[in-house]
Amino acid sequence: MTATMSAAGSAALLAGLPGIGPNRLAELLADDDPEAVWQLVVAGRVDDPHAEAWAAVARAADPAAEAARYAEAEVRVLTRADAAYPAVLAADLAPPGVLFARGELSALETPRVAIVGTRRCTGTGAGFARELGRELATAGVGVVSGLALGIDGAAHRGVLDAAGVSWAAPIGVVGCGLDVPYPARHRPLWDAVGERGVLLSEAPLGARPAPWRFPARNRIIAALADLVVVVESHAAGGSLLTVTEAIGRGIEVLAVPGSVRNPAAAGTNQLLAEGCHPVTAADDILVALGMVPGGRRSAAERRPAPDDDGRRVLEAFDWEPATLEQLVLRTGLALGVLALSVQQLLDAGWIMAQGSWYERVPSVP
Amino acid sequence: MLGLVPSASLFGIDGHAVTVEVHISSGLPSFTVVGSPDASCREARDRVRAALLSSGCEWPLQRVTVNLAPPTVRKVGPGLDLAIAVAMLVASGQITQQAVGDRSFLGELGLDGAVRPVAGTLCLTDALGTGALVLPVPSAVEAGLVGDRILHPVRNLAEVVACLEGADPWPVPSPIEVAPPPPPTDDLADVRGQPVARFALEVAAAGGHHLLLLGPPGAGKTMLAARLPGVLPPLSDGEALQTTRVHSAAGLALPTGGLIRIPPFRAPHHGASAVALVGGGTALLRPGEISAAHNGVLFLDELAEFPPRVLDALRQPLEEGAVRVARAVASVSLPARFLLVAAMNPCPCGYGSRPGGCRCTDSARARYARRLSGPLLDRFDLRVEVTRPSVEDLLGHQPGESSASVARRVAEVRDLAVRRGVRSNSELPARRLDEVAPLSHDATRLLTDVLRSGRLSARGLHRVRRVARTIADLSGAPHEIGAAHVATALGLRVDPALDQPAPVELAG
Repeated sequence: MTATMSAAGSAALLAGLPGIGPNRLAELLADDDPEAVWQLVVAGRVDDPHAEAWAAVARAADPAAEAARYAEAEVRVLTRADAAYPAVLAADLAPPGVLFARGELSALETPRVAIVGTRRCTGTGAGFARELGRELATAGVGVVSGLALGIDGAAHRGVLDAAGVSWAAPIGVVGCGLDVPYPARHRPLWDAVGERGVLLSEAPLGARPAPWRFPARNRIIAALADLVVVVESHAAGGSLLTVTEAIGRGIEVLAVPGSVRNPAAAGTNQLLAEGCHPVTAADDILVALGMVPGGRRSAAERRPAPDDDGRRVLEAFDWEPATLEQLVLRTGLALGVLALSVQQLLDAGWIMAQGSWYERVPSVP
Repeated sequence: MLGLVPSASLFGIDGHAVTVEVHISSGLPSFTVVGSPDASCREARDRVRAALLSSGCEWPLQRVTVNLAPPTVRKVGPGLDLAIAVAMLVASGQITQQAVGDRSFLGELGLDGAVRPVAGTLCLTDALGTGALVLPVPSAVEAGLVGDRILHPVRNLAEVVACLEGADPWPVPSPIEVAPPPPPTDDLADVRGQPVARFALEVAAAGGHHLLLLGPPGAGKTMLAARLPGVLPPLSDGEALQTTRVHSAAGLALPTGGLIRIPPFRAPHHGASAVALVGGGTALLRPGEISAAHNGVLFLDELAEFPPRVLDALRQPLEEGAVRVARAVASVSLPARFLLVAAMNPCPCGYGSRPGGCRCTDSARARYARRLSGPLLDRFDLRVEVTRPSVEDLLGHQPGESSASVARRVAEVRDLAVRRGVRSNSELPARRLDEVAPLSHDATRLLTDVLRSGRLSARGLHRVRRVARTIADLSGAPHEIGAAHVATALGLRVDPALDQPAPVELAG
């Protein structure tokens, strides 16, 4: 058994001690190497109210077996002593004591932008997040996000849409063990990000999602980013925690303006009112990063042009979700004519349906 | 000494002829009821005794055995009281068997001798022979619906005894006063704006398509549903009799004329049990709400609040138009062909269907969504979002089209369906759709596109074609179905976004 393997096993076991949080873990590991700390824990000689409980757990654990388990799962265990530990996190206010990584850490060697937002987003919001993800990845900017439902997931889907030659890989930061895809329906996305980019977590394998882990996860997202972009957020959303973490680190926050009638844009509009720069296209982000935009205008409009009725219907949307009934009242078209027009617009990709609501689609992927 | 008196007992919605036999012999005074009586039937002893005594008759202090034949039929309720009392009088020699003749007796007795109505008089009368029937006065109208029966409506036991003794002539029913026209039900003219919801209601009525109304609280879902009976055609003679039988058996109040002509509207609360909804109960096998809604409308408000088990019990009756209720004692088939209208909020907070509008947690939404099974949701051919009418509509506009005018179109479309050999377009068999609902070239192309894009499943296709048939009929009945008709049918069949946000599919 090599020394590094034993260190990795010890570090992983330390991160999994019952009741240990990011701060306590970082404190324990502040100066010493993980093996030495582990020996102290086994002996019950750490200065902590949990020391006895930890010692009981620790005596039953085997660092070598733990290290083998992580090797088997292809998850790297990094402490600040490791050369591979991301420099940007090592320099942070609250660096994770132990960082678990799946995939290529080289994905972090690009300019990085965090795209965050609400899980309960509008289709328009998700569509825009996807567009940002795609264009930033194409421009060589790494997208950091939390793989949650809604905006987070959509941003990374955009990154994966753009997968190609000159491309920045996705960076996912999650709040639970790297073998516990959460939400479960994001398993394919989770795997794709792990294979093509990097997945990071400070929770050991098998750790279930717990409410306290998500704000801690948001701090890592903020720490990794050069810029934070909030696409949609409710008035008191979790993504505003990421914003607070970013501001505490002096990292610039940008926000996407939304309709004043969209409750999922209340938080972002508030950010704009407080002085954040607005994002209306990926170029705004590139400019904020000091990169030169241009040269990549979005793909030419491939959708067949709508007919007269279609144009009337599109205008009636006013970029807000609408039901069939609202469209009837606004256009004055007969229900049959309108319904046919709606079906044609759906087919052509001008609008999309979510339940009984229809939304305009700004541009096609 | 023996007394024999014919009567009838109710089971499900069927009456069964019962002969009440009373035997009195010497021995210690006792009173036994045999022949599958239930508890309320056994309690007849106390009611009959008090009624006889307060009507000036004697109660024999001997051994009394009451047999309700045939014993295979379970007898439920107090409806045999009057027959038992008369049989007692015969058996104790107070009147003769000849005086009874072939008369049957129906009615519950009060302690003062009053004869009270029993549930299911219509069904019970049906089951009895052609002899005269002695029954409580309030039941005469209902029994009269059977026709060609001699009825003797009575008020109390003393009156019956007087007639049996020959002291008084048997009373005859007073002529039924002509039923006043039914009071106007809620009119569609009260509904302002909401053109799509109104149209969906019209399509539901015209084609017999089940309708699901989605929308936030206060959007007017209940108001719309309550106006459905007003646009449905009145019941035919056969339908009216069937529905009246069910209501009679369930002990529900009948209209003045006796016969139910307006399609019934039943709106059980979501606290209703499965038995209350589909019928049953241990003894009586009473018709439930879905049978009471036979040939009418069953409205389930707050659909997702109904226990899932109760809702799934609706699936079989929805397919078959009848519900088979089986119990250890027996099983009965109760008619239950109804138009199902349901209303629900899209999520617990009620604002969830508008993208970005929901305030519920993920788990709350998931729990809410799980309450509705896919197969049940699939039964709704029409699923529309009801949005709150705008202020301008509420205050400014003309009143909407009246129920009477919509009902005329509905009746025409129903006639067309009858000419196609079905009661309504929703019953068109899939194999006949090509013949009776041919698609125009454009409509075929639209459906091809929609199927290919995955917005419609193969199973949904037939349902959309039936709804499109109804929409085409409403718009003047061209033989061929156009693209606009199909598109409208698709627009009226949204997938409730119960489990949003709609996942953006992962590319590649």
